[in-house]
Amino acid sequence: MPTKLQLHLSKVFLKIFLRDRQSIFFSLFFPIIFMTVFGFANSGGQDPINVGVVNDSDAVVAAEFVQQLIDNPIFNVTVGVEDSLRGELEEGDQTMVLVLPEVFSNQNLDQDSTELRLLVDAAQVQQLGLILPVLEQTLIEIEREFRNTEPMFNLAIEDVQARSQSYLDFLLPGLMAFTLMQLSIAGSGFNIVEYRRKGILKRLFVTPIQPKDFITAIVLARMSIILIQLAVLIAFAVLILDVRMIGSIVEFFFVVILGTFIFLNLGFCLGSIAKTQQAVILVGNIVIFPQIFLSGVFYPISSMPELIQPIAYVLPLSFVATGMRDIANEGASLLTILPSLLGIAVWLVIGFVLATRLFVWKEVAN
Amino acid sequence: MPIIEVENFTKQYPLPDSKNETFFAVDGVSLHIDKGEIFGILGPNGAGKTTTLEMLEGLTDIDGGHATIDGIDVQSHPFKVKKIIGVQLQANEYFDNLSLVELLTLFGALYKREIDPSTLLEKVQLLDKAKARPANLSGGQKQRFSIACALVNEPKVLFLDEPTTGLDPQAKRNLWELVTELNNSGMTIVLTTHNMEEAESLCQRIAIMDHGKIVAEGTPQHLILQHAPEPPEAPLHGNLEDVFLTLTGHALRD
Repeated sequence: MPTKLQLHLSKVFLKIFLRDRQSIFFSLFFPIIFMTVFGFANSGGQDPINVGVVNDSDAVVAAEFVQQLIDNPIFNVTVGVEDSLRGELEEGDQTMVLVLPEVFSNQNLDQDSTELRLLVDAAQVQQLGLILPVLEQTLIEIEREFRNTEPMFNLAIEDVQARSQSYLDFLLPGLMAFTLMQLSIAGSGFNIVEYRRKGILKRLFVTPIQPKDFITAIVLARMSIILIQLAVLIAFAVLILDVRMIGSIVEFFFVVILGTFIFLNLGFCLGSIAKTQQAVILVGNIVIFPQIFLSGVFYPISSMPELIQPIAYVLPLSFVATGMRDIANEGASLLTILPSLLGIAVWLVIGFVLATRLFVWKEVAN
Repeated sequence: MPIIEVENFTKQYPLPDSKNETFFAVDGVSLHIDKGEIFGILGPNGAGKTTTLEMLEGLTDIDGGHATIDGIDVQSHPFKVKKIIGVQLQANEYFDNLSLVELLTLFGALYKREIDPSTLLEKVQLLDKAKARPANLSGGQKQRFSIACALVNEPKVLFLDEPTTGLDPQAKRNLWELVTELNNSGMTIVLTTHNMEEAESLCQRIAIMDHGKIVAEGTPQHLILQHAPEPPEAPLHGNLEDVFLTLTGHALRD
């Protein structure tokens, strides 16, 4: 339990940090802008696929078929002649070009099936797998209409997840983890360097205060601020951007608190190593930057090159972000995210040992 | 009766040019400072004044020698010593975003003391600035505030490191008055300075340091009689500055 002195000191630091309005504003400003941009970018669902259609047939059926494609929200249809559309396809403006031959009509329904030509760009083959079934489905429906046959099967789709997961749902926990890392590292490391440069640490060191009291106070004060900041961000995401939090908010914040401890400790290490403000920003970036890309904040680790994956999985931010995401997105309990918690525990020990080794009052103060 | 006893203090630092060699920043300094006196340590830049003070305050490791303050061993009981000393450092910046009253309360808490910030501020004539931030104080006000911070634990010994450097004459004299006042209440004060006038009018005894050693020690009068250049006619000619220059030479220091 913190002593009376530690609590008093934390209150003072809380006051100091809270009065720094500018840095509090900007620390919230960035993630909020980020979430908003991603929220709006993804709100329209998938972008329609650009399809060029060349209609060489003058049959009514062909016109109806084209109209059906136009009405389908999946496609963004451009009707034109083959040569110009082929050019657009090569330049990447069209994803594919569909050519309806002259013979396309219901006159020859009973004869051999008509061949439709689909021009594609080989580079877009990935998307083709998504589009072809839709195209075929549309053709089958048209065929049924003309043949007047009823479908044998009807697929009724039932959504078992109350709501499908958007990218923002995926992004939010990672972004929270990333934000807490940055706030924690800056909150301890950058402050230590600033206090040293100003001679404040030296001044404190000639009073009877013990280093552990000083560190405890900074950790408690920073922790409170970060919890408030994350609560604001989550409230914004849930209330304004309609992001869903499935798991327990208490368990979510439990992981947040552990993560904050890790990065506050690492921040103290940085603050003890780096002697100047510039140095601490550089060294801080060495810690922060790789983790932005490698910790599954923006996309899952499993989608990274296999060579990098083993490294990515053991980064501290990976454990924290994964733990937070499992709780927020899948409603996992602390028990089910035990592997992440173990990783977090290991990093807590590493961070604590390093911080206490490196943060030597006499040396940090001078 | 001495309250501070320093025996043969030494401190070595690596040379700035070659890391393998060391030089003595403090080289065999012994001091006996009496209870209730104002003791001045004079010396050019780099003479070892600040290092000597920092060794006494527990800020810098003691490489050799031994010291006690009020009978407490500085090296083995640094935290006991910190409780009975007040320190004003050369750099006197504080946390941004805290008012003078809040800072004094904080310093009180560091000594586990409930203090009355107003009384302290009144003592250093800053009561009207109680709500101000240290950044908005003038140089003289900042120094007075530093002294107020050093007084929160009612120290037996007050260390002042170049308290008047950079102050205008008014602020300087104002600070001397404050120091004299504190001394009249029985506080022992140890200060470093370049200012001869300050040493002469404020200090009861002086030690002049150069190259890590004490080159002369005594009352200002005594030092002038002993070391001032022989006057052509008048019996007591010259001042403490002459003494200083005679002892430490005219060469410029960095």
